[in-house]
Amino acid sequence: MEFKDYYQTLGVPRDAPADAIKKAYRRLARKYHPDVSKEPDAGKRMAEINEANTVLSDPEKRAAYDQFGQPPPGQDFRPPPGWDANREFSAREFSGAQDAGFSDFFSEIFGRGHGMGGAGGGSSDHHARIELDLEDAFTAPLRQIALQAPKVDAKGRVSLETRTLNVKIPRGIREGQVIRLAGQGAALDGGQPGDLLLEVQFRPHPRLRADGRDLHLTLPLAPWEAALGGVVPVGLPDGTIEVRVPAGAQAGKQLRVRGKGLPANPPGDLYIELRVLAAPATTPRAKELYEALAKETGFDARREAP
Amino acid sequence: MSETVEFFTLEQLCTVCALEREWLVVRVREGLIAAEGASESEWRFALAAVARARRMRDIEHTYEAAPELAALVADMLEELDALRARVRRQG
Repeated sequence: MEFKDYYQTLGVPRDAPADAIKKAYRRLARKYHPDVSKEPDAGKRMAEINEANTVLSDPEKRAAYDQFGQPPPGQDFRPPPGWDANREFSAREFSGAQDAGFSDFFSEIFGRGHGMGGAGGGSSDHHARIELDLEDAFTAPLRQIALQAPKVDAKGRVSLETRTLNVKIPRGIREGQVIRLAGQGAALDGGQPGDLLLEVQFRPHPRLRADGRDLHLTLPLAPWEAALGGVVPVGLPDGTIEVRVPAGAQAGKQLRVRGKGLPANPPGDLYIELRVLAAPATTPRAKELYEALAKETGFDARREAP
Repeated sequence: MSETVEFFTLEQLCTVCALEREWLVVRVREGLIAAEGASESEWRFALAAVARARRMRDIEHTYEAAPELAALVADMLEELDALRARVRRQG
């Protein structure tokens, strides 16, 4: 397990007072806010910053964390045995803002307090996120998902219980949609079990990106395909379609194919962004042809570029 | 049996966003989060309310911001989302 230097994450000294930690956290939270940040890995950084702040802004957790000192970087970290004897962390820490993507290090030290569920105000409904492949929106498969939920035994001890559910994924499912499984939530005090609400996220796809019901992809073309136009096959989860590329197409041009997005009702559209790849001149003959083309067209890319 | 949810009740939105019921009720009554329906038990929330409620919760938490300020930031982020989507569609 990798040791996380939370002080370094927030860029504060180890003896920083609470208000300096708060200030550093807010400054970084603004810099890496995933909605507005221009930084390439803003989402990941934001999760790290949230994790560091969750520990360092809480005197109880900070004190526990400070016991470990500063292990040398790069080494496998294990907390010393018995380090957490008689230490209890209050459950409230785990509801609310920071329920996303904490590290193994955090879970090992402070426990996995957030499986499914949450501060539902006494509701017996439960919530979890499921990751699906984009293809699932087309094939509507039966998916087996394992859910972990805290369970309290007769002596008041909390353990994690895993249960497996078969979920029929509805066709045309979109990111952010919620699948409801009636009666699969928790039963409180022997009452009627509530519902299980599964929030859908798509795993990154190598070629396709979903935006609501619409799909986006980048289509690479050879220079002659772009210049002459033609019909190009495009593979989609439910089969291959033929896309007509207009003659004289430039890189960056966007084509829209109606109804070829996610199979929702109504279906989304497919947006294809063209990309032109320069064919390498690998043989003397290819070089000759490029030279002839240069002479014939007199094309100056710098002058043509917008 | 599985089905997709087309809107949320108050309890469902609390569950999905890990929110205290009271937190959400106050913000709906103040008009900061939109709901259809007259009484709490009849309130219906659009799916987009999930993102809005989470954003407001995070902004309030991170900056100890007033709910109205968090709602203003959420308004602007939603506008930004809409404009970005338009730019993407137009290429």
